[in-house]
Amino acid sequence: MRALPDTRPPPRLAIEEHATRGGRRSLIGLTPLVDVVFILLVFFMLASSFLDWRTIELNVPAADAAAGGEALVVEVSTDGLMVAGEPVTLDQIAARLGDAVAAGLDRQVVLRPVGGASLQRLVLVLDRLTAAGAADVSLVRQAAP
Amino acid sequence: MRFEARRARNDDERILPLINVVFLLLIFFMLAGRLAVSDPLAIEPPHSASQGEPLVRDVQILIAKDGRLALDGAVMSDAELGARLAERMSAEADATYSLKADGGVEADRVIAVMELMRGAGVENLTLFTVPQGG
Repeated sequence: MRALPDTRPPPRLAIEEHATRGGRRSLIGLTPLVDVVFILLVFFMLASSFLDWRTIELNVPAADAAAGGEALVVEVSTDGLMVAGEPVTLDQIAARLGDAVAAGLDRQVVLRPVGGASLQRLVLVLDRLTAAGAADVSLVRQAAP
Repeated sequence: MRFEARRARNDDERILPLINVVFLLLIFFMLAGRLAVSDPLAIEPPHSASQGEPLVRDVQILIAKDGRLALDGAVMSDAELGARLAERMSAEADATYSLKADGGVEADRVIAVMELMRGAGVENLTLFTVPQGG
């Protein structure tokens, strides 16, 4: 009879431990939280895009503008450039444009891809022409044979 | 001995640094990325030194590397594109047009599409590029 209170664990300690445990459990469970955060992370990683877009304004060419009597004709192929029928390098193109202006042509340039040149190549030449001060660049297609 | 006792003490505390890092990554992706509707065709835009501002355009035309076309998210043929553009032009004459084309597509193909647009009455459009070195 007398031994009973002595064998019991100290009541305060037991309550304390229970309280802290209960407190932890009643907060947001850590594992479900991590699950949700991981899912959100994966969603944002897959859905967001980091491309830094820039733009170029283009004039849509008229189908009959290909003749271009006054304009400087630049032909772009996969591995070279022809300005008014003569092969030039990418670095000479600014000088050729300057010559054309000095010769009295206005700064209109007709850019024509030949032999399956890619858009990337065309844009590269377009950048050079714009940097060299070409005001009005129009794109034309090689006349169908 | 002491080490083991510490490890056994609390499982939650061991993953707290992990959660911190995951939260940081989550906030980074939320703030730095831009959510956008993904395009129906895979496009790898051409690199360019141009600095034009990427303003929102009303109509967007996509040209994939294999030459396929899409208008506002729907893949279609050349003839269908011409018809749709003409329809659009008659409904809203001052709409703005943008072109997202793959850098590897043949330039002739892009110009052919531009001529198609000209045929529908579109006067000018914006080509989307990305800066060099990306």
